[in-house]
Amino acid sequence: MAGSAGGDRHRSRPGLVRAHLEAIATAARRLLEPPMTMPIPDYGDARVPGYRGVVLFDYDKCIGCSLCAQICPARAIKMYRVPGDKRLRPGYNVGRCIFCGLCTDICPTDALSESIVHDRVYDDVPSMDMDPVDWAVWSRRVLEEERKPGRPLLRARVDPERGLVYERVDAEGGPVAEEKGEER
Amino acid sequence: MDPIAWLSGSLGVPYWAVRAVAAPLVYPGLAAFMVVALFIIWAERKIAARVQMRVGPLYVSRRLGGALQVLADGVRIAFQEIIIPVGVEKWSFVLSPILAFTVVSLAFTMVPGGPGIYGFRSSLSLLATYAIVTLTPILVIVMGWASNNKFSYIGAGREALVSITGEATLLASLLAAAMMYGSMDFVEIVEAQMRSHVPGLVANPVAALLFFIAALLVTDRLPFDLVLGEQEIVQGPYTEYTGLLFALSMALGYAKLYVLMLVFTHVFLAGWAPFTSPLLGSIAVFAKTLLLMLVAVFLRSVYGRMRLDQVASMFWSKLFPLALVAFVVSALIHPIYAP
Amino acid sequence: MTRLLLPGMEGRVLGERGGLRVVELYIGAQHPASGHMRLIVYLDGDMIVRVDPDIGYVHRTVEKLAETREYVRVISLVERMTIIDACNVTLPYVEAVERLLGVEAPPRARYLRTILCEINRVSSHLYGLGLGGIFLNHSTMYMWAFGDREVFVHLASLLTGSRLTHTYPVFGGVRRDLPQSFRDEFEKAKRYMLRRLREYDKVFFNNPVIRGRLEGVGVLPREKAVALGATGPNLRASGVRYDARMTGYAAYRDLGFEPVVGREGDALERVWVRLREIEASLELVERALRELPDGPFIDERYTRAVPPAVRHWLEKGRLKLPGGYVRLKTRPGEALGRGEMGRGEITYYLVSDGGMKPYRLRVVTPSARNVVLFDALARGHTLMDLPAVYGSIDYFPPEADR
Repeated sequence: MAGSAGGDRHRSRPGLVRAHLEAIATAARRLLEPPMTMPIPDYGDARVPGYRGVVLFDYDKCIGCSLCAQICPARAIKMYRVPGDKRLRPGYNVGRCIFCGLCTDICPTDALSESIVHDRVYDDVPSMDMDPVDWAVWSRRVLEEERKPGRPLLRARVDPERGLVYERVDAEGGPVAEEKGEER
Repeated sequence: MDPIAWLSGSLGVPYWAVRAVAAPLVYPGLAAFMVVALFIIWAERKIAARVQMRVGPLYVSRRLGGALQVLADGVRIAFQEIIIPVGVEKWSFVLSPILAFTVVSLAFTMVPGGPGIYGFRSSLSLLATYAIVTLTPILVIVMGWASNNKFSYIGAGREALVSITGEATLLASLLAAAMMYGSMDFVEIVEAQMRSHVPGLVANPVAALLFFIAALLVTDRLPFDLVLGEQEIVQGPYTEYTGLLFALSMALGYAKLYVLMLVFTHVFLAGWAPFTSPLLGSIAVFAKTLLLMLVAVFLRSVYGRMRLDQVASMFWSKLFPLALVAFVVSALIHPIYAP
Repeated sequence: MTRLLLPGMEGRVLGERGGLRVVELYIGAQHPASGHMRLIVYLDGDMIVRVDPDIGYVHRTVEKLAETREYVRVISLVERMTIIDACNVTLPYVEAVERLLGVEAPPRARYLRTILCEINRVSSHLYGLGLGGIFLNHSTMYMWAFGDREVFVHLASLLTGSRLTHTYPVFGGVRRDLPQSFRDEFEKAKRYMLRRLREYDKVFFNNPVIRGRLEGVGVLPREKAVALGATGPNLRASGVRYDARMTGYAAYRDLGFEPVVGREGDALERVWVRLREIEASLELVERALRELPDGPFIDERYTRAVPPAVRHWLEKGRLKLPGGYVRLKTRPGEALGRGEMGRGEITYYLVSDGGMKPYRLRVVTPSARNVVLFDALARGHTLMDLPAVYGSIDYFPPEADR
């Protein structure tokens, strides 16, 4: 199988001048091709379906079982006592979160879900540590932002010629009929 | 029409004196070099980015494709604090980059930028330019010694080896060309090529190739950037430099490259041919030089760094003997340039 | 003029060691090409007489931390050792725990694990190639390898939802089923990568400058490689036919795995083995996709206890775990997990006292085994060869320091 597919490295060795010319020609050919990088920050990354970003919390669906706090490998989720609520509710420290998504896997009621963002800006460190009510409010805001992105979104796709190509998508992930991103 | 004549008339200074100041300061000297450096560093980054499927500098002056990025970097570096570390030889540390750059700038008095655009004309201007350019390694070695840093010191050692290795081949290829034209004056060399309509590159490709490769070595371009050697010795002799002194030491390599590519243009690409007017001729020289520099910086995205011993053995045992072949070619072909 | 004179600081003064006048060079921990470590190099002239790798700058006490966490939480802890090779580094641990739990992953899960492992291996090798390139100041190889690695990072994120730290294998299976678009995307990625490998050959591997830097440098003879305990592509480049995948874990036995073996044992051969392993990995993924068995992607034992309200996720190919999953208890005993990472063989030795947390988790990572090569390979070469040696053994400090 592939073990011998490459062949002996010495047998495939081209002559000195040819090797130089091939190297230069290969580099020069690439000079004419467009870049494969994603034009961030002019565009946002639409992410692949099922991307694991920050964890969102739905207070009404939570049953206070504390499984998420138990499974969280980074102790980003802790249980809080909320005034006027008999059960403990999870609070979330985004700064500690490693986006493994195990909490959403173990949540028995779909109270936790994953968003597609993980790169958000916070005013200060304390604002990253949220109690259950803050988390629920914040989650709604993240969802809204997800629905109305501040910049056009691009989704990466593998291309056999160019590696990765990007197509414009809207917030739901549907394709946008528009010409390609500006050429640079 | 001629700005030099106008200046000499209005200032009451002799024509040659205005020329001797204007050439090194304006064109082909420092002002032109600034433009070249800004463009070529940007082009180097942009070409490398394109080959490497990236975008490269973009956000400083987006319309121009990030062309002002280098200017922005330069301004930042110019206002950066110049740190003089404890234990350096203070005066040699500060003065050697300034002196080295000054020495390279002196070459602009000799190399013409176009027909009649030069500081001095001498029957030995080719040799004098070579001598000036090859003075700088001594100052680079001083830099490395004065820095009191092991990486700088090793870099200085490499500079010594590289300069001896490269300059022998550089001189041999230049002398082969001079023998072909029967002259060491840039103006006469260009005129000989214009007269016979054969550029030196066609007449003696061996010498041209050797000159180009040796120029890459003495200007620390890849694949011969041994002196900089980032992965081994950080920045070689320039490791301890900051601010403007660092900018000067970096500009040194580009200034040398610019001078040597100007020389290449005159010696092997027939200088200002096919034009004879000062303006068009200067543009021709400038364009050819830039093109050569673009080729030189393109090689950065093709090659890695060659090893020290391999460079030395390649130059002494392959390229230097090849320079003797260049002499033979010159001896055979020189009648076509006979006046 | 006042001077601060400290031993070893004065750049112009040569040191003395063992009667030899040598230069002591401290490469790192702040140096463009040292990584998270320091190399203390002793030079006689331009020749390296000795290299002392000073490791431990990124030691994070992974082994000790593992003793304080429940089994499932340890998965994303050990992942941190080598986040660029996340599936390969966690899989042997997961398999070791599975052995103590008495669970076996269903066939589909084993195949999916193999697919992600091989995709990780391709990205890991590209990462190593890129760094190997920039160590020789070949910036194009660096950028190309990192750019093309993005294709495989994209594939991995399609499968797992995460670009690097996948936390994909869990006890009894995997966390996501194969998404529909994956086969098509992989097919394109394979065609792209094979084409790119030809370009790598032209610009990097057959480039005379690079050949000169790598050929005959840091030769590791077969016997010495075995004696030093080198592992991974470094071992195979010396002509030893050994690869932990030959033990047939995950789906490797079903796929008929054959290792890529080199011969010469020099730096060029190590790069060559990595390039060919990329091809071999692509081949393996393709075969695994073709032969991918149907069935559940996680053991029935765990899906049975999932609350009915969230069962619909399982049908959509997303894992849902039962509540008891956090507090899994293994039987007392010990288990060994072995697997082949991009850089070589990783070994987990797990001791359980029957509780919910490991009693002891010993990890031997491939880079920890390969660090010995710095001294062995660089001796007698010039200072310029040190980056070539470093790049060719593909050493990754966070992995070695654990």
